[in-house]
Amino acid sequence: MTLPPDSAAAVADPAGSEPRWRVPAGQRFVFEDFDDGIVMFDALVGSTHLVSATAAEALAIVEETPDLTADAIYRRLLARAGMTEAALPFAAVRELLWQLENLDLLAARTR
Amino acid sequence: MTLAALPAGEAARRMADAGLSLRLPPITVRLRSPLPAFAAQIAALYADSEVADSAEYADVDLRLEPVRGLRRPHRVHVQFVVDGVTPFESFPVAHALPMFEWGLNWIFSHRMHDHLLLHAAAVARDGRALLLPAWPGSGKSTLAASLMCRGWRLLSDEFGVVSLADGRVQPFVRPAGLKNASIDVMRAFAPSAFIGPLFAATRKGDVAHLRADAASVRRGAEPAEAAAIVFPDFQAGEPVTVRPLEPSTAFLKLAGNAFNYEVVGEQGFRAVTSLVRRAPAHILRYGDLAQAHAAIDDLLRMEARA
Repeated sequence: MTLPPDSAAAVADPAGSEPRWRVPAGQRFVFEDFDDGIVMFDALVGSTHLVSATAAEALAIVEETPDLTADAIYRRLLARAGMTEAALPFAAVRELLWQLENLDLLAARTR
Repeated sequence: MTLAALPAGEAARRMADAGLSLRLPPITVRLRSPLPAFAAQIAALYADSEVADSAEYADVDLRLEPVRGLRRPHRVHVQFVVDGVTPFESFPVAHALPMFEWGLNWIFSHRMHDHLLLHAAAVARDGRALLLPAWPGSGKSTLAASLMCRGWRLLSDEFGVVSLADGRVQPFVRPAGLKNASIDVMRAFAPSAFIGPLFAATRKGDVAHLRADAASVRRGAEPAEAAAIVFPDFQAGEPVTVRPLEPSTAFLKLAGNAFNYEVVGEQGFRAVTSLVRRAPAHILRYGDLAQAHAAIDDLLRMEARA
């Protein structure tokens, strides 16, 4: 699957029906990368999570640039991790974003 | 002046009057009680602790007072009063000492939030601390007490007191609480160690207290650098095995083990990170104290070489 570049995202989603992702107000993440895994501190509620490298990157991307669509987050993830679409399917990232939303680490907003 | 240096009966007199103030770094505790048997037990188990002037500021003001049981008024109970508040139900009067020990642990775990408080025993040798984090029943007090009896410095049998400022392990030296079978295990392992009276059928089973050695008490304000983390897992009859823990697993176990990880927030996260980065973590399964000691010695030797 080939995705549109960032600048075309709004054109691909003219009605704004795609959720835009951001971290909840006041949220801040602290990451510690150990050799065998990444531990993340959720500074808003004081909880600690063991997260995958993909999840850590996704959280960092959304923290840096709020209001991206899943597509845009996906493209940035591929670029940062140097991965191919075959190695990291878009569906897996979309599922990951909703899992992070379930943990109140991310919030989805539809315009 | 140490408690042992007070004239005979003076500890009981102070406890019955203005209070006996004991320096138990990092806190000072003022203890009042009219119970002479309890006073004698305190005098024996805290013999090497420093006594402060009763009029000095004390971090914790404790009273253990006799009261009549509500359901059985003919039975005398003891009530634990801290700074005027009674947080617990009363105990049988004969169990005043276990109540004091558990109550003081409870106070410490609820107040000392300038430290990360691991539920751990801690010992030190040559300035290097060994943390033994574990839940009750894992053998951490017995293992720490036995290490003390073989030359290690006891820091605590209940708390890994990690400074949030510099990550060092602070002592909180008090008698080691032994339960059930571990009492006889320690009597056999260290016949010359002083073990106080047996308190049968308490809420935690049979309990006795092994006095901290004088050297550990004397150095009670001297912190040590965390050098290794060993999660003890006593299994009767099992051979000794040592298994390394991955850092992220060790992190989650330590964070989950701490009394106040969520209270101290991001500082706690950073303290655990620092511990895990500096001190390798292992799980030690053992069924014999001497074998456990040998495994710990081997482990520390290997880490020192690495």
